Amino acid sequence: MTSFQSTLGDEPGIAEELAENQQAISIAEFFEKNKHMLGFDSGARGLVTAVKEAVDNALDAAEEAGILPDIYVEIQEAGDYYRLIVEDNGPGITKESLPKVFGKLLYGSRFHAREQSRGQQGIGISAAVLYSQLTSGKPAKITSRPQGASEAQYFELIVDTDENEPEISVDETTTWDRPHGTRIELEMEANMRARQQLHDYIKHTAVVNPHARLELREPTAHFKFERATDQLPEETEEIRPHPHGVELGTVMKMLTATDSQTVSGFLQEEFTRVGKKTADSIIDEFRDRHYGREMRWRPPSDHENVDLEAAVSAATSNKGADATAAFAAAIAEAVADTDRIAHHELLEAVDTAAEDVEAEHDTTFGDTVRKNAVDAVWLELIDAREDERSESSDGRAGAKRHASHEDGAVEADAADDPAESRLVADLYDLADEATSTRKDDEVIHAFAERLAAKFEDELEGDDDDGDGNVRHRLTHGRLEDHVDRAADLTEEYDDVSFGDTARENVVDAIWSVMATVPDDPPLVRELDGDRDASSELVDGMRATDIMAPPTRCLAPISADLISAGLEKEFEADFYASATRDAEVHGGDPFIVEAGIAYGGDLEAEGGVDVMRFANRVPLVYQRGACATTDVVKSIGWRNYGLDQPGGSGLPKGPAVIMIHVASTNVPFTSESKDAVANVPAIEDEIELAIREAARELKSYLNKRRSMQQRRKKQNVLGKILPEMATKVAEVTGRDEPDIDDAIARIMNNVLVEREVEQNGDGQAVSIVVENNSSTNESLEITDIVTAEPTNLPDDATIVEMDGEWFVKWEPDVSSDEDATLEYEVADDADFDLDVKGVETEKLTVKQ
Amino acid sequence: MSADEEQAREQLIDLAAQFYDQFELGEIPHMSVPTRTKNNIEYDEDEKVWVYGDRESTRSANSVRGARKLLKAVYTIDFLAEQLEEDRSSTLRELYYLSESWDNDEAQFNDQDESNSMVEDLEIVSGVTREDFHMRPEESGATIMGPLHLREQTRRGEREIHCQEDVGEGGYQIPNNPDTIEFLDTDADFILAVETGGMRDRLVENGFDDEYNALIVHLKGQPARATRRITKRLHDELGLPVTVFTDGDPWSYRIYGSVAYGSIKSAHLSEYLATPEAKFIGIQPADIVEYELPTDPLSDSDVNALESELEDPRFQTDYWEEQIELQLEIEKKSEQQSLASHGLDFVTDTYLPERLSEMDVI
Repeated sequence: MTSFQSTLGDEPGIAEELAENQQAISIAEFFEKNKHMLGFDSGARGLVTAVKEAVDNALDAAEEAGILPDIYVEIQEAGDYYRLIVEDNGPGITKESLPKVFGKLLYGSRFHAREQSRGQQGIGISAAVLYSQLTSGKPAKITSRPQGASEAQYFELIVDTDENEPEISVDETTTWDRPHGTRIELEMEANMRARQQLHDYIKHTAVVNPHARLELREPTAHFKFERATDQLPEETEEIRPHPHGVELGTVMKMLTATDSQTVSGFLQEEFTRVGKKTADSIIDEFRDRHYGREMRWRPPSDHENVDLEAAVSAATSNKGADATAAFAAAIAEAVADTDRIAHHELLEAVDTAAEDVEAEHDTTFGDTVRKNAVDAVWLELIDAREDERSESSDGRAGAKRHASHEDGAVEADAADDPAESRLVADLYDLADEATSTRKDDEVIHAFAERLAAKFEDELEGDDDDGDGNVRHRLTHGRLEDHVDRAADLTEEYDDVSFGDTARENVVDAIWSVMATVPDDPPLVRELDGDRDASSELVDGMRATDIMAPPTRCLAPISADLISAGLEKEFEADFYASATRDAEVHGGDPFIVEAGIAYGGDLEAEGGVDVMRFANRVPLVYQRGACATTDVVKSIGWRNYGLDQPGGSGLPKGPAVIMIHVASTNVPFTSESKDAVANVPAIEDEIELAIREAARELKSYLNKRRSMQQRRKKQNVLGKILPEMATKVAEVTGRDEPDIDDAIARIMNNVLVEREVEQNGDGQAVSIVVENNSSTNESLEITDIVTAEPTNLPDDATIVEMDGEWFVKWEPDVSSDEDATLEYEVADDADFDLDVKGVETEKLTVKQ
Repeated sequence: MSADEEQAREQLIDLAAQFYDQFELGEIPHMSVPTRTKNNIEYDEDEKVWVYGDRESTRSANSVRGARKLLKAVYTIDFLAEQLEEDRSSTLRELYYLSESWDNDEAQFNDQDESNSMVEDLEIVSGVTREDFHMRPEESGATIMGPLHLREQTRRGEREIHCQEDVGEGGYQIPNNPDTIEFLDTDADFILAVETGGMRDRLVENGFDDEYNALIVHLKGQPARATRRITKRLHDELGLPVTVFTDGDPWSYRIYGSVAYGSIKSAHLSEYLATPEAKFIGIQPADIVEYELPTDPLSDSDVNALESELEDPRFQTDYWEEQIELQLEIEKKSEQQSLASHGLDFVTDTYLPERLSEMDVI
């Protein structure tokens, strides 16, 4: 909602447009009864929630204006009440937008925007204003200074709780020391019992917003959280809704609001990730639902006694023998060429044949002729020829053979119908293919006959135009009904079971051979207000495979800044973080990030701290109900080097685990936005993010452990071996032996040793690196010499500074190998070796 | 200090000098000793005893454990060298307690097993026996009773002793270093080594030594080195056949094994201690069946021990495989004294004469 501060006057997007169309729900009164849902169920909690909403708002306002947030929160005791003051350095707010932002519940630009932002439901700050007014009776006091304005403006705001209408009661110019920003002052019934949560909230906010400066002043305490970075979070871009993430109601509103004429245009204009191709796929799905599909029947095979040519010829008059024959032949051939043919496909075939023959024979095949041809062929195909229907009173409503059909009286009827319907044979094959082999042929046959009868019944005029469904156009639902009915009858008369799976398989088999109809979809204005058709469109959108939404609408904190935020607020030895790639849940993209801090000053006793964030907002309450907590508990932390009694549950030790879920629509368990709902797709990502960071922790702990062991070993051996050397010298009566080399070797250490030999006037120096470790080592060795060294090899560099020569040498020494640097220098030179690139624990330097 | 003692001392100091040189060469100080497990003992065709194979364990300063071990070794060497120089001796247990007085905590032994095995290590590496280090076990107390006349070097001079006439019912006490004994004369026909004190007393009470000219050596369970050494010397020097009479259970077969073939822990000294010609009298599993002896069922650990003996190179003969498999089959064991179920004289009048004549000893 604060985005009004910055987006007001900008070109309104679809969401704003929708928000305007949307009738503001009068829930001020509702709020009074449902405070708990919004996080205002107690005085203690109300204060935390109010701070939370106001700070979230302030952060959003500053960020959207590209300003590094500087936020001041103050809590004062004011008689029986508490006074909450929140100041930001955002762009300020205009008088016009003020009531909407602070005064009206459920009025926010955020509600439909597909963009990550803190306030999502449009409830937040206005609820705090309302709470304050309801408990203290005082108006909200708002000071605002837009950027560049010479004066600040002071308002007092009261909400009419019956009408959900905010009213500005005071409007005057005032002075304010901030150059720009907004200040809100609320008085409310509250207490400081939830101080810990308040502190957690502010501290966690500081962790997750390393670019913000926060200050909290309480009656008895004062905290400051400085910035760790000057880098603002990346600006998010609003995206259009994704077809998989919208509800029917939203689509209906969008249909009302759109400028597009066609459904295809509407889909492409108003949704993300929908181009021409995707729109066509969606429309096909919509057609199947809206119009149904047409049954495709097999063309007659040679052995069947069906002569399409003759039928066409008979139906065609006055076109000359040649032309008629050519027309009939062309149609028969076109039909024979298909695997199966639907009514509308036949129409096309007849049109094509007509046009071809027209060109060749210079005759016109008008609409009537074509229609007669189509009817003749189609009735042949569905085995409902005119001659057989002659007895029928209207001559059209087909299938006289079955006119007296009672459902299921197949045997009786079959007796006087020696030639089986083509449909039965066709449906028999489909059903036989789709059902298990265990089903008796007879049963399938009986079923196919009954189902064919349902198709024949379609010819009866129960259509709007009374023409009957000659085209065999069925929706999926109607097809299911037919199959069910036929199956029920088969169960009843043939005393066999025809289970749900078999029925589904048959429906699927038939549906898959049926053809999507070519009818144009309704125009947008026809759809507008048609709930059923709109619903069919939404179903179609859901059924179509559509690319995941773009993620530029998300602003993750980034792994680096998570570490920076943790480093800023926790004195630990180790920090790790991970940012996952974006994923999609219900049309909303989301990104999960995790961070871990370990060791240092962190509390070693008890469970680790879990910090939860949604869209950079700390979640303070309902920890136990949160998906993030559930995931943390489900991970086997022992694998990662943390203590976990019983192998599950919250791990113990000096660690902080943070989880951030960023999404255009974080699924919360309730309106108070305290806990992330248990959505499997999100839980999976949370787990992966935590595990990614935990793996770093593990290798850190392993390394630390092995360094500890190495140190311990070195300590013990550093004591034992000299003692052993002394004793050996005592027993053998010799001088004490030199044990450094042996120790370096025992410790698998890298030994850097200087040997100096007199060499005429000067001395020959060699620096030997002996790598006793099991890994390859890259060393940076600097030898500081007080006289100029000569005869240096090529791989060493030398720099003189203030009468000292810095010999730099960077050898790579493989495991169990040596490397030697040799040079010469004057007799009186002093040396000092500095070795880098090897952990101190692993290094022995002798000079 | 005698020449032998001087040599023992030098060999110890050479060992310390070896560590010294390793330090000087920049090597990790270490010493290698044969692995003392049953997987690493092999039959020595020439000596007909079991000796250590090629497998070695290295005590190296590479690890904290190894470094501690070597430090203890050096301290022990120092102590032993000093002891030899002063011509004194001490027991294994005294070494363990003595280590408490060393100035270095890290060099002190944690338990007596550790100090015992250290002395074994040093024996093996230096090639000097424990006895030559002047280290002895706490008590051996094993005895001999029978027609044997010998001379022993004691601290109070030479003593000539007849092991029937000059001793009480308890017999002649075998000294820690039996190499100080010189055999003068014997009327014995064979040696009968007996596991338990009760059976030994039974044999003496029944006058078995007199009647059969037997030298009854009391093994006292798993025999001490001195007992095995004197048995070997009696066999080698006086040409007496050696027979071993124990309980009929897997643990007792190991007693026979260590007399005949050497023990796993002292396989480096097998040539010096083992009497490969020693024969096993019983109780054999076959005897349990034949004499219908009162039995106890085999416990799980008995079964494990028998199974592990089937894999023990010392028991890989047809005879032992047959006996052990029989015992596993009948799942029974019997003690020596169960022979008393047929009367107190049964063992001396029936069992032993029968077995010994079967074995062609009498």
